[in-house]
Amino acid sequence: MIKLINLIILLFVPFLMAGVIKKTKSFWGGRKGPSILQPWYDFVKLVKKDFVISKTTSGVFRIAPLVQITSVIFAALFIPLAAGSALINVQAGLIIFAYTLSLGKFMSLISAMDTGSSFEGMGASREACFTSIVEPAFFMVIASVMALTGNYTFDSLKNILASAGSYGILIIVFAVVVLFLMILIEGSRVPVDDPATHLELTMIHEVMILDNSGSDLALFTWANGIKMLLIASLISYMVLPQNLCVGLSIAYYLLIMFALSVIIGTVESCMARIRMSHVFEFIFIMSSLALVVLSLVVARMFGG
Amino acid sequence: MEYFFIGIAILFLSGIISDFFKNKISVLSGLAIISAILTIIPSVNVLLTSESLIYSYNFNQLFGAVNFVIDPLSAFFIVVIAIMSLVSLIYSKGYLKPYIEKGKNIKAHIVFLPILMASMMAVVTCQNALMFLICWEIMSLSSFFLVIFEHEKKEVRRAAIKYLVFMHLSVLFIMVAFALLSLKSGSFDFTSFMSAMHGDKHFTNTIFLLLFVGFGMKAGFVPFHNWLPDAHPAAPSHVSAMMSGIMIKTGIYGILRLLSLVDVPSKSICFAVLIISVVSALYGLLYAITQHDVKRFLAYSSIENIGIIGISISVGMIGLSYGNDIVALLGFVGALLHILNHSIFKQLLFLAAGAVYNKTHTRHVELLGGLIKSMPKTATGFLIGAIAICGLPPFNGFVSEFIIYFGMFKALSIHHFVSVIMILFAISSLALVGTMAVLCFSKAFSIIFLGAPRSEQAKNVNSDVDNSMLIPMGFLAVLALSIGLFPQFMFKFALNPVSVFINVDYSTVVEPLHILQLISLFALGFVVVLSLMILLKMKLTKGRIELHETWGCGYNQPNNHMQYTASSYASPFLSMLKPLFKKVFDIEKPRRLFPRSAHFSLKVEDIEEAYIINPILKYDEMFLSKFESMQSGNIQSYIKYGLIFLVVVVIGSLL
Repeated sequence: MIKLINLIILLFVPFLMAGVIKKTKSFWGGRKGPSILQPWYDFVKLVKKDFVISKTTSGVFRIAPLVQITSVIFAALFIPLAAGSALINVQAGLIIFAYTLSLGKFMSLISAMDTGSSFEGMGASREACFTSIVEPAFFMVIASVMALTGNYTFDSLKNILASAGSYGILIIVFAVVVLFLMILIEGSRVPVDDPATHLELTMIHEVMILDNSGSDLALFTWANGIKMLLIASLISYMVLPQNLCVGLSIAYYLLIMFALSVIIGTVESCMARIRMSHVFEFIFIMSSLALVVLSLVVARMFGG
Repeated sequence: MEYFFIGIAILFLSGIISDFFKNKISVLSGLAIISAILTIIPSVNVLLTSESLIYSYNFNQLFGAVNFVIDPLSAFFIVVIAIMSLVSLIYSKGYLKPYIEKGKNIKAHIVFLPILMASMMAVVTCQNALMFLICWEIMSLSSFFLVIFEHEKKEVRRAAIKYLVFMHLSVLFIMVAFALLSLKSGSFDFTSFMSAMHGDKHFTNTIFLLLFVGFGMKAGFVPFHNWLPDAHPAAPSHVSAMMSGIMIKTGIYGILRLLSLVDVPSKSICFAVLIISVVSALYGLLYAITQHDVKRFLAYSSIENIGIIGISISVGMIGLSYGNDIVALLGFVGALLHILNHSIFKQLLFLAAGAVYNKTHTRHVELLGGLIKSMPKTATGFLIGAIAICGLPPFNGFVSEFIIYFGMFKALSIHHFVSVIMILFAISSLALVGTMAVLCFSKAFSIIFLGAPRSEQAKNVNSDVDNSMLIPMGFLAVLALSIGLFPQFMFKFALNPVSVFINVDYSTVVEPLHILQLISLFALGFVVVLSLMILLKMKLTKGRIELHETWGCGYNQPNNHMQYTASSYASPFLSMLKPLFKKVFDIEKPRRLFPRSAHFSLKVEDIEEAYIINPILKYDEMFLSKFESMQSGNIQSYIKYGLIFLVVVVIGSLL
């Protein structure tokens, strides 16, 4: 039962999150804004449409969206969602999770290059570059937490307090910030990327899917939403109170997702997109915070 | 064991035998298949039963008794060498065809091709230092003659001589280490070396360092890698595939063999190897991203993979030195599997690159593009190789990288300050390696095969290569996928070789085996779901696709030169790491109102070559040029030098 609920959450909450983000942005902008369900309507509309495909493209371009969505959903099997553990709770599940996501990313990169458009090439090269800095920081945080708790599954995230006491709160705070920055970067949100504009020169993820249309475009957007949800779930796993009944923990989980969406929306409303040459500096904030987590963990393990 | 020797003998002679026939390479391939079967049979037997085969032959005054041993470790390498060299050998038929048609003499080439294969197998079985050095030398020399195939080109000669020099530097280190060992033990046998190193920590560390430099030069660890990126592009593709896929692994074999002789490696050595390996992996990839020559960038990526293997070996060593069995087991199994996997996907990539070269006659990626339409099978091969080498599921690269990561996670439980920090950094470095590999290979694949052709050469390709080239690639691609789908069998396959280092306790194996079974199910599920979705999409979208120009933001006259290039793809990443390169620009700016010519090119030089090796060579040349006058070309004076030398030797021996 809980698995079914988790599946529904996995597939549909991303649309709601996108809706909430949009609503928050309109709130701060003093507008009424579209309905929260608007991303879902957009999805349905896109799926129904026919395709317009570039002549330059090959089969890679056509299967890439499918690989992307499959890899994101398969990667989700390793992430604990609303209540209990992940569907596949296995040691070093982090590796399978991250590398399966990378497969989707690899395909989306080469599908962008397949069009032969310089705009999409630009997006792909930036995306590849930024991910290559984000991922090591992510690994560093999760591996440090695993070293601290002595548990090599994603369950270690909820054992931080149990194994480090109140000192653990410090670790959790930094780890949450790192993961939140990762949502902004991987989910292509402001201040790294802007999902709302269509000015090709300034974008990263959005420009990669410039030539995708119909259900291809829908799948890419959906996959991106699910990816955000997965990282957000890791955050929720760290801050979720222990030993709740199933109903309550699902409610908490949804509340956290809602809160994160509101925060993302607020960040987007009060920050401008950073200049492309400064994005590196923003991403290195994440890496340095990951280093802080690492040193906190090591200090706890060997400093008494 | 007799089978094995017969196989080796056939290989040594097959080049000469096949010379009598008209269809030389087919005969050669046939003979090689026979000898591969002959060598694989005893090796598989050893792998299954884990009972070593020993054959002792007494060479009397020359070397004394020499032991040839096929233990599980050697057997593993023999199987890899036999199968993978065979693939390259069969491929060479198609690759050499245009050369034969042009009337090039390939006699020497086909003599040395099987000799390289035989000598590699001999290297991994010799248990005698002198015999080992002889086989090692045969291996280096035969590969030298294979590299120098296109000797009429100046850069090929230069690369080959550089290779020769590096290999002899490497032999020098190995010889010194062996001499020290045999002085101490009084014998050339490896088993006696074991007792010589027992207990004497200082001596063992010295030997380890010497041999690590020696074998590391062959394997291509940074900073001993400099020959690799020159030799690989110079050699014909099947030779670079063989060298990168298998031959450099003999260096790794040497390190592993050494480890089997040392009982417990010291901790500082473990961490030193870990650091060198991490640096190699990152350095290799960094330069792989900068290179625009297909084979040169594959060569740098070999350095990266040697680094990954090294990380795994050092994890195994950490397990040994802290007495943690499961870490040691996972480390060594990971290393062995990555050796196998790397030889599969790297060969696949080299063979595909060779196929592209065969059709377009260029290795410069900026001149390629759009080849997926004219060479779909080669493109698929390259794509599979690229995904596998990035370590992405469901292919084989993921399996070994997963085991290495798993070993590192297990190593986190070793409660030791330095070890925990080192391992945490190694984990994130390996993650960095993974994502950089994605950048590197997405660049390579998309620039070579996707988009529109960037030059006439690429545009004029109208068909894929011959079957004799496609079948080896297909075989490797299937192998890469099947190991990715059923990793548990490969894991069991690599367990017996590991028993050379530690006692494999079957209770420790249960857990990783269980996870691998899960990965197997996961990968199968992934492939099934994905293929169902592709079928579904093909059915649903039939007739609903409209073809149009690529969206150019309103500009509708795009041409091939407006595409993103390899340099621009890599540029955001490289701009971040400016100080690590030496960039050499070659710019001619357009001038006046009607510019006649303009060009821009950018070359990235290896920082080690630019700042260390070249200055050394310069001073070396300055010093040695002082002796130039001695080389007069006059026979009398040469006889005089000989005489002086003899006198010095005689006096020296009298003193």
